[in-house]
Amino acid sequence: MEKIDVPRLISIVGEKNVKTDPADLYVYGSDASVHSARPWVVVRPENTEQVQAIMAFANQGKIPVVTRGGGSGMCGQTVPVKGGITLDMKRMNQILEINPSDVFCRVQPGVVDDDLNHALKPFGVFYPPTPASSRIATIGGEIGNNASGVRSVKYGATRDSVLGMKVVLPDGSLVTLGARTRVEATGYQLHKLIVGSEGTLGVVVEATLSFVPIPKFRCLGMANFDRLEDAGAAIADIMASGVVPSMLELVDSVAIKAVNKTMDLGLPEVEAVLLYEADAMVKEAVDHEINAMQEVCKKHGGKGLTSSYDAKERAKIFMGRKKLFPALSKFSDILSSTSLADDMAVPYSKMAETARTIHEIAKRNNIIMTAYGHCGSGCMHTKILMEPTRQDQWESARKAVAEIYEYVRSVKGTTSAEHGIGISKASAFKAEKSDSLDLMRNIKKAFDPNNILNPGKLMDAHDDWVTATDLRYTIA
Amino acid sequence: METRPFETKHLDKWKSNLDSCIRCGYCYEHCPVFKDTRWESDAPRAKMIMIYGLLSGKLEPSTYISDKLSSCFYCQRCVVACSSGVPLTDIITDAKRDFQGTEFETPGTTSVTNTDCALCLACVRACPHEAREFIEGKIFTDTVKCQSCGACVDICPNQAVATHLSYGTDRPSLNQEVATFLGKDNAKAIVFGCNWSYYPDLQSSVMDPTADPEYKILINMCGGRLEKPLLLEPLLQSAWGVLVACCPDGDCEHDGNVKAKTHVTALRQLLKEMDIDEDRIQLVQVAHGDKTGFQAAIDTFMETVNKLGPLNHR
Ligand SMILES: Cc1cc2nc3c(=O)[nH]c(=O)nc-3n(C[C@H](O)[C@H](O)[C@H](O)COP(=O)(O)OP(=O)(O)OC[C@H]3O[C@@H](n4cnc5c(N)ncnc54)[C@H](O)[C@@H]3O)c2cc1C
Ligand code: SF4
Ligand code: SF4
Ligand code: SF4
Repeated sequence: MEKIDVPRLISIVGEKNVKTDPADLYVYGSDASVHSARPWVVVRPENTEQVQAIMAFANQGKIPVVTRGGGSGMCGQTVPVKGGITLDMKRMNQILEINPSDVFCRVQPGVVDDDLNHALKPFGVFYPPTPASSRIATIGGEIGNNASGVRSVKYGATRDSVLGMKVVLPDGSLVTLGARTRVEATGYQLHKLIVGSEGTLGVVVEATLSFVPIPKFRCLGMANFDRLEDAGAAIADIMASGVVPSMLELVDSVAIKAVNKTMDLGLPEVEAVLLYEADAMVKEAVDHEINAMQEVCKKHGGKGLTSSYDAKERAKIFMGRKKLFPALSKFSDILSSTSLADDMAVPYSKMAETARTIHEIAKRNNIIMTAYGHCGSGCMHTKILMEPTRQDQWESARKAVAEIYEYVRSVKGTTSAEHGIGISKASAFKAEKSDSLDLMRNIKKAFDPNNILNPGKLMDAHDDWVTATDLRYTIA
Repeated sequence: METRPFETKHLDKWKSNLDSCIRCGYCYEHCPVFKDTRWESDAPRAKMIMIYGLLSGKLEPSTYISDKLSSCFYCQRCVVACSSGVPLTDIITDAKRDFQGTEFETPGTTSVTNTDCALCLACVRACPHEAREFIEGKIFTDTVKCQSCGACVDICPNQAVATHLSYGTDRPSLNQEVATFLGKDNAKAIVFGCNWSYYPDLQSSVMDPTADPEYKILINMCGGRLEKPLLLEPLLQSAWGVLVACCPDGDCEHDGNVKAKTHVTALRQLLKEMDIDEDRIQLVQVAHGDKTGFQAAIDTFMETVNKLGPLNHR
């Protein structure tokens, strides 16, 4: 461990909230990505004043600080590549206020997404960005990554729901950003810049969030397609027709095979399945949207159309999609499911072509890749199934990832739709945003002149993600 | 005592399962150990990461790691929640096996017997996992077989059995929580939930502490461990009612729900004899994962309690 004044940190947060055992440092050195590194110390602040004191101390000694929520990031956002202090925010977990008449709530950053929604439910409202990891993701981490989820096609990503926040800057000072109002045109809206900044600009210590009414009616439908291209055409048509789905998901043949192999759900072995959902306060409105989407599916050769309003039936229809993750992990004893090139977004008209290209690239590079995702928001998810203990598989993965991002850029897509950049996607991000990187570096410098907040990420990250850190796997 | 060197003999076979753990963390909100300390190092995911560290040589074995790996109640919540089918408790058992007999072995949450032991052997008979043995005039716990269910702790007439670490699930901690909660202005009821059936939301976050809730849910490892004095204590203080949640018939591995039912029936009879409305103490059986059902049961109970009003202590 590097030399760091641990007693000083203990004097700020108390002995019970500091960890330095090698085992703790090893645990806090990884997240849901392929990367691994170790912090020098883990510290758990309880309030804003403690965060301020820790930041002032770190800034003075130019000690790196990595802010950590649930540690469920998939690209190494909380992997402390330069060591330093890991700031575990899970103790700042209070829902401070729910204000139904002004339509906002105030929370500390360690509040877990599912918990917030549970607390909002009695008021008939919900906080919509909700990533699939909502049972573990904290509001701070969702802000860090600009998280979004299956319903973001209708309700937007985290950035769309954040009205304001309190942020501790690297020098320990506290700023209040944004407002409590629905709209704001009061200068630079810096709170929106903090969203998606992956903990590189400041530590969020409080967030003001808006919420929306829980719709009274929700209907989920499914259609099977023999050809991926037909499903792709249906997606583009649905989105162009003015319909507002509350969810539009694509599942490809690799994913269907994985689910069938491991779960025995008996899904039809077609090239693609589309899941579409609509929600509203009146049933007629939902009917209208669902009918419109079914018509489009039929027009493009969609088969086996089913839909239901019933919660249990909906859960059944969604089962294949829901079981996708475990299915991929259990696909084979020797293959592991890794999060690489996992969440690009492409224009609707390129959805099918993207899925096809991903399959081709995977095949060429001797790995297995599945393509699925929130196609209603243009987001395509993939997972790379590979033998993580074989060096040559990492070479293949490196090549496949590079080829995929090159393709994504060629169709004017973007590197990340929801999981962020961290370490794994830094080189693709730099290639995509090459003409604004200097601007971003200057913004970073204005907030954090000593580069102490989450160094080695985004613009500052290593260009080769395979060697940027230790990999979490042991390679033979 | 003679010790043997640490080797990953039993753990070696789990390497590929640990590779397939995607480190999503879906397991950690379910774990009573994590929920008590709220350190990631105490979550099931961390246990898997530490074992991976031992297997790959990135971590040296230590008493600290052994302690973390031996702190598990075998509630299986993480196994059910795991998004990748990782058999966590089997792996944890093998970790304990590899640490057993080494200089690093620690009891964690497993039971220990102190010198006040009267050698009545009640605990040996009570152990559902054949983890307790009487050898040469002394009682030993096999830390590998012990699943920290607490049956031996509860049954010992001499209070000679204890767990080194209890993560807030032992009687004194629960009593302390009852007293602290009932000291609040608006406090009316205590809900005891077993870790299996208990599945409320708001697992890791807290509401504004100034907005006084009317009830508090306290987790216990098993409905069967809720002895009568613990259940009665809230009513002896200022509570208006007590709700006990346990699993449906047939769901409990060690028939804890049968025991809980017996306790609650007896206590209801006692209240009746004391001319107190027996509905102030109730039992509800909730299936694993049925959040809605559990919340509905709490709401109905609170309605009853609010109708009954405060309990007048004469
Ligand atoms: C199985 C699985 C499914 C997922 N599904 C989705 C999905 O559908 N959509 C999606 O968007 N993401 C998804 N993710 C990725 C990830 O879970 C989310 O982005 C989530 O929001 C991260 O939250 P966290 O609390 O774990 O953050 P962490 O991983 O702890 O942190 C994420 C980033 O935010 C920063 N940060 C954390 N707290 C603060 C704070 N208080 N102030 C400033 N910066 C902070 C960190 O430094 C880091 O850069 C998934 C992950 C997994 C493992
Ligand atoms: S089985 Fe053990 S590790 Fe898993 S949730 Fe229960 S106590 Fe935690
Ligand atoms: S839920 Fe399973 S896959 Fe996810 S971190 Fe826990 S053990 Fe690993
Ligand atoms: S009764 Fe339970 S706690 Fe006691 S030794 Fe047996 S398994 Fe362990």
